[in-house]
Amino acid sequence: MRKLAANAWNWLDERFHVQQELEVNVTKKQVPRTLSWAGCFGGLALLTFIVQLFTGTLLLMYYKPTPDAAWDSVMFIKSNVPMGWLVQRIHAVAANVMIALVLMHMARVAYFKIYRKPRELHWVSGVCLLALTLGLAFSGYLLPWTQLSYWGAMVGTEIPGGVPFIGQAIVLWLRRGESITGETLGFFFSMHVWILPATIIAFMGMHFVMIRRTGISRPL
Amino acid sequence: MTSDDARDPRRTFCKVCLGGMGLCSAAAVGYPVVAFLGFPRRLSGDKPVEVPLAELLPGQAQYVSAQGKTVAVLTVGGEPVVLNVSCTHLGCTVIWDTADHVFRCPCHGAIFDAEGQVVSGPVSQPLKTVPFTVEDDVLIVS
Repeated sequence: MRKLAANAWNWLDERFHVQQELEVNVTKKQVPRTLSWAGCFGGLALLTFIVQLFTGTLLLMYYKPTPDAAWDSVMFIKSNVPMGWLVQRIHAVAANVMIALVLMHMARVAYFKIYRKPRELHWVSGVCLLALTLGLAFSGYLLPWTQLSYWGAMVGTEIPGGVPFIGQAIVLWLRRGESITGETLGFFFSMHVWILPATIIAFMGMHFVMIRRTGISRPL
Repeated sequence: MTSDDARDPRRTFCKVCLGGMGLCSAAAVGYPVVAFLGFPRRLSGDKPVEVPLAELLPGQAQYVSAQGKTVAVLTVGGEPVVLNVSCTHLGCTVIWDTADHVFRCPCHGAIFDAEGQVVSGPVSQPLKTVPFTVEDDVLIVS
């Protein structure tokens, strides 16, 4: 068994040099000795995002994004699907944890002035990632279609109304009409499960490529 | 195990412990996922709900659970009616008003008559009727 696994690994390694890549990028990658645990927040935020992708995919099997069925389908997941309550809870709690970790990561970068040259664009892409994370949280909040989520979306979509001149147009665009309806639910759903995750993954890719390029910042 | 490990049992001990923890973690993640992919439990409400017609008093509505939904059973002009009491606005449970013979929604004040038709409030759709049968003077919601 062990020999078979070793052979398969060698076969793969011979063709793609996986071992070498792993050593260079993961197992033997050097980080500054003085790097503290606070340097983990960004990576942990990525981990929670992966948890969200995973649990979200599972929830998608039963969730129905229509006003008639949304609440019932969430209740079905929580009470009838085996371990559904756990998956749904993890998805809801990890969303909050992800926001907390993103903010902690940002606070550290700001405090240690890591955003300075040559890492200005890391900061810019990071701010975009924060906005996308908040967008994901906000769009997901409406999906259970409870009173809380309905009024949460109502208040939240009202906020851009304060923008001069185009504020009302943004509110209408976000709500897909005057008020929160089934169309809003469908729009938020597509945002939540595809458009925002795809965008956030693209921005994460840029963020990670850039940090590999410049290397992690040394403490002051 | 390499020759290094043989000389250093502590290293082997650490490896075994780490491997064990890894396996436990994998099981803790794997079990809920595999379970989730299994068949969901169907609602126990597959059993039909029976209400004897004699129990239906004029001007009163009986709330019963059928198929995981709450329905109201009442009579209108002697004819039995079964309505889904989930408000067609945002799904709150409407409450039967015995004095006025209407359903009132506690959330946004929608009012429906005894047959579920809209009287007033932020709704356009009537309450959904629920199919039922009557056998031997017993109303059955299945």
